[in-house]
Amino acid sequence: MLTIGKLAKAGDISPDALRYYEREGLLAPASKTDSGYRLYGEDAVRRVRFIQHAQACGFTLAEIRELLHLRQSEHACCNDVRSRAVEKKLQLAAKIRAMQTISAALERLIAKCAYGTLPVDDCPILAALEQIDGSAQDDAP
Amino acid sequence: MRIELFKVPVCTRCNSARVELQAVAEAAGAEWCEVNALDALDRAVDLGVLTLPALVIDGELAFATLPTPAALRRELAWRAQHG
Repeated sequence: MLTIGKLAKAGDISPDALRYYEREGLLAPASKTDSGYRLYGEDAVRRVRFIQHAQACGFTLAEIRELLHLRQSEHACCNDVRSRAVEKKLQLAAKIRAMQTISAALERLIAKCAYGTLPVDDCPILAALEQIDGSAQDDAP
Repeated sequence: MRIELFKVPVCTRCNSARVELQAVAEAAGAEWCEVNALDALDRAVDLGVLTLPALVIDGELAFATLPTPAALRRELAWRAQHG
């Protein structure tokens, strides 16, 4: 059995993060000592790595909970997991597009700047951000 | 009218509901087609498809999750009336 410190070291993660996973329903200790210390089975290392890899792929903790549930479900098949991966890819593609739009808006704002020669009161970037009609983002490049 | 079902190939959720929905669409005289979301990722993002399966009607995301046959029938009737 592993203590929380040993599991944290094996998973290259902090004990606080492991407690957070527990609060989120992703990881539970197999048992506790008489004095209340958490004890984890050897499979906990694999589970922690699974959670970390899934987070690195952009899955939220709620989605990871679902994936872990699918992994244990007798009725789930690989297509259920694949569907979630495709959905995540769609959501990431939408997010990338939104970020590109934001980046383009910033580029237009930066192009309005007079290279730091104006007082802050006359800053065109701050002025454009203050516009409430959103025209700063809609300006043609 | 053109109805597109964006889906993951061999999706069990899609297959079970697909047959009934296709029958509703065809009964209303609409064209039914199925799109592999992975092959049409850019278009899916254009349309706002973020979850699968999803139904697009005439180039507009109409159902982000699969509707019941009755809901699709109502939607098609409304669109037929209001152009």
